[in-house]
Amino acid sequence: MTEAHVQSLIPLKTQWFHIMLSLAGEEQHGYGIMQEVLQRTTGKVRLWPATLYGSIKRMIEVELIEESSERPAPEEDDARRRYYRLTELGRRVLDAECERLQELVRAIQTKRALVTE
Amino acid sequence: MTSTWQRVYRRLAAAFPHEFKLAYGDEMLQAGEDAIDEVAKRHGALGLMRLIADLAMRLPVEYLNEMRRDLPYAARALVKSPAYAVVGIVSIGLGIGLTTNLYTSTWVLLTRPLAGVQDANRLVTGETPASYPYIERYREQKDLFAGVAAVETMLEFNVGLPGQSGKPERVFGQLVSPDYFSVLGMEAQRGRLLSADLDKTGSTPTVVISDRYWRSRMNADPEVIGETVKLNGQNATIVGVTPRKFDGALSPNPSELFVPITVPATLAPELGNDVLHQRNAKDFQLLMRLAPGVTMETAESALDGITRRLDKDDPTATPQASKAKRVVLMGAGTHLPLPREFRPKVLGFYVALMVIVTAIACLNLATMALARGAGRRRELAIRLGVGASRFRLVRQMVTEGILLSLLGGAAGLAMAYGLAALTAHVRLPAGSPLAPDRAVDWHAALFAFALAVACGIGFSILPALHATKTDVAPALKEGAASQLSGHRRFGLRNLAMGAQVSGSLLLLLVTGFLVLGIWRGNSVQTNFDQKTMAFLFIDPVRDGYTPEKAQAFFAQLPDRLRSSPDVTSFALAAQPPYLPGDDDDFHLRVDDPKAATPVEKSVLKQTAGTGYFAVLGEPVLAGREFAEQDQRVDVEASAVVVPLVLNEKAAHALFGKGNGIGKHLRGDRQTYEVVGVVPDMKDATGMTQAIAYLPLTQRDFARPPGSGITIIARGHSAADAMGGVRTVVASLDPNLTLFDVQSLSEYFELIRGQMRVALRLFGGIGLFGLILSAVGLAGVTGYAVAQRRKEIGIRMALGARRTQVLGLVLREGAVLVGAGSVIGFLGAVALAKAMSAIASEFADAFAVGTNDPRLLIGAPVLLAGLALLACYIPARRATEIDPLQALRQD
Repeated sequence: MTEAHVQSLIPLKTQWFHIMLSLAGEEQHGYGIMQEVLQRTTGKVRLWPATLYGSIKRMIEVELIEESSERPAPEEDDARRRYYRLTELGRRVLDAECERLQELVRAIQTKRALVTE
Repeated sequence: MTSTWQRVYRRLAAAFPHEFKLAYGDEMLQAGEDAIDEVAKRHGALGLMRLIADLAMRLPVEYLNEMRRDLPYAARALVKSPAYAVVGIVSIGLGIGLTTNLYTSTWVLLTRPLAGVQDANRLVTGETPASYPYIERYREQKDLFAGVAAVETMLEFNVGLPGQSGKPERVFGQLVSPDYFSVLGMEAQRGRLLSADLDKTGSTPTVVISDRYWRSRMNADPEVIGETVKLNGQNATIVGVTPRKFDGALSPNPSELFVPITVPATLAPELGNDVLHQRNAKDFQLLMRLAPGVTMETAESALDGITRRLDKDDPTATPQASKAKRVVLMGAGTHLPLPREFRPKVLGFYVALMVIVTAIACLNLATMALARGAGRRRELAIRLGVGASRFRLVRQMVTEGILLSLLGGAAGLAMAYGLAALTAHVRLPAGSPLAPDRAVDWHAALFAFALAVACGIGFSILPALHATKTDVAPALKEGAASQLSGHRRFGLRNLAMGAQVSGSLLLLLVTGFLVLGIWRGNSVQTNFDQKTMAFLFIDPVRDGYTPEKAQAFFAQLPDRLRSSPDVTSFALAAQPPYLPGDDDDFHLRVDDPKAATPVEKSVLKQTAGTGYFAVLGEPVLAGREFAEQDQRVDVEASAVVVPLVLNEKAAHALFGKGNGIGKHLRGDRQTYEVVGVVPDMKDATGMTQAIAYLPLTQRDFARPPGSGITIIARGHSAADAMGGVRTVVASLDPNLTLFDVQSLSEYFELIRGQMRVALRLFGGIGLFGLILSAVGLAGVTGYAVAQRRKEIGIRMALGARRTQVLGLVLREGAVLVGAGSVIGFLGAVALAKAMSAIASEFADAFAVGTNDPRLLIGAPVLLAGLALLACYIPARRATEIDPLQALRQD
């Protein structure tokens, strides 16, 4: 897991970024990710089911996320649902992506300050 | 409302690949159902549509993802069994190569619309030529035809390009009515094409050149329009260049020049004798565009009626009582127009040939894939056991098949290129080049690619279904080769193998029939040393002579040739001897008023000068050959009795046992008197036709045929004779061109070159079937042996001898070969009979072959022998099995 490998995965696709962001805090199942993204973006970003699961499948293949073996408390558990979490690589890629976006935001702010003055 | 959406959603979700559904199917279904109400509430129908669209768009992506992983897997599987891969690529490559070659060499000529032509399928032509006055009447039928043009094809012009010194070059062209290009609906690439308004009689002669000629001979000179070239010694102005790839309608070989019929006869001798106004001069082919809504059938019956009326009005014509159609139309939108009733048969034959070749290659691969599938039972059972779907495994195996045949397709395309390059080097008689369209192009590549994919699916799907029909439990429990499936008499594999043997034999026999039919022992026996004869062609009229001057030239020529020390004997003719032709172009009837039904016979017409048979060393069997006085006969005057020499075959057909000397014959509009009978001579292709020889006369000298006048000369050697004639002609006029100078052996080579193309193609196809079936049998027997190692080991341990083991293995192959041979043999004979019955053109070719014992016995014996040898080699390996080792396995 080299730095080059991490860099090769960013910039992330929008839906990948949102999925990883939802998984940053806690393990989630697919439908949970969909809901979380919807709430966080106040309904602006909706991950449609096939896109969501297609992305999850690809992200597992490139080892950004993995299926979690831990299950929630039995009363909340739905046996059909799988839970996902970030891998170590996923965490580093998300980190690098956030860093990249922050750089971008800083650059935008500097520029905007120059324009408005 | 939402329930409909839900159903659609469920359907689509169920269509996702098996692996995807296994992992995410339930969740995706759940997520969709949970979301559907909320989406409907928030976004309405548009949102629901997005939901479905998301699924629908993702579906192919997921499948492609799956297949992308199949491909490297398939590649690994092929690398792991290199023998299978190599044999497969070679088999499929041969199959696709041959089929693509067939496609490019023949199919395209028969089916592809002419380049640069609008709505080529609306173009029609007559099966027989017509005279120009008739064509003018046809042109008046505006409700039937949008346009009617007259064409004379395969004409040769002596061309002198500006700024070019030396002798002019012979170039193929067409003489066309000025509306030719408007009938074709064609636009000029440069300049203008011919037009009825601009190209009028009396205006400056013009010519349109083909794109190919412009590029190859004029270096694509942009300033070419307006240049003056010498055509047959006369000036003509280049007014335009045709669109790319157009090389003439109604002509199987390319035309480079398009000369309007409004030019004077000095430029185009074909127009001499006022043919444009002669209602009997049926010199022109029709090129007509059907008016919108008119069918070929309607046009045909209308034209037939018009022609009947025109014939009736003609006082000079012999009245015809026959009810036969006088005009039969056929499509003219392709390179090679074929008569309507004949076309489906020819196309059908080629489709059948392509299908058989492809099917044999597929069957070959299928038998190997079946055997291979049996060897992979365990692998497949394990994969099924751990949850792979059957569909997934089938898809995997089909992917392997497609990969294999794509590789084979690439090999095949390379082979087709090679074959095309070989064929391109074959010169045809009179130096006419092969149609450039026969080169392999992207159409062919596309064809090969599509064929490869079809083959890949074709040969792998059944074996894959068969192999994955495994009962998981026993296959896992028992050894990989435990099931002795080879004993099933009608197993899929045996059926495939039997079909392959019979298909190969069928192919071998049918192509063998054709090859023998075309070749026919093919050596011409002559009564003189073939090394001493040469042919030279000369055409003073196309070199700019007036008819009178040409006649004067030919009056001088014999005396001068006689005095040449290098020429021992010579003769003039309107065509070279031994030229193949059809015996149906000249209809003769015995002029016997007493006979109730006069004897009639169609013969091949040839024109021979004085001393023709002497120079060929042929004895005159009865009567005499043509003499000086015969050359002065005015063949165009209807009252004159024209002398005629028959060969034995024609004499026999017309007069039975008597030789008919002195008897009269009636032709179309003339009376002939038989003055001599000569022996039958085989033509250069080995055929013997009934021939009537007419004397070479002043008319031929004034208007030489398209190929010029042939000078047949013999000397101490062919080179001597050529030199002698050259010297003589140069002494008469150094500016006259002698063209297509060749020795007799070169001439034979040229004519046979054409046949060799066909022979090579058909021979190649037959050989291909032979090799493939041998390879397939060897492969299958090899697998059978490998699978039965344990059984053989046990038998040997119990005391079976080597010969017994050998017999055991060979018996199975022998039964397959035997049964396949019988079916293939019967099929081939039936096919040949059927082909001969429906098309006389095939009958000629098949007649010789189907009666040839060498082929009828030889081909099955050869195939069976090779097939058994192919079985024997792996079978012998079986006898080398060490019982101890074999038993210890598994």
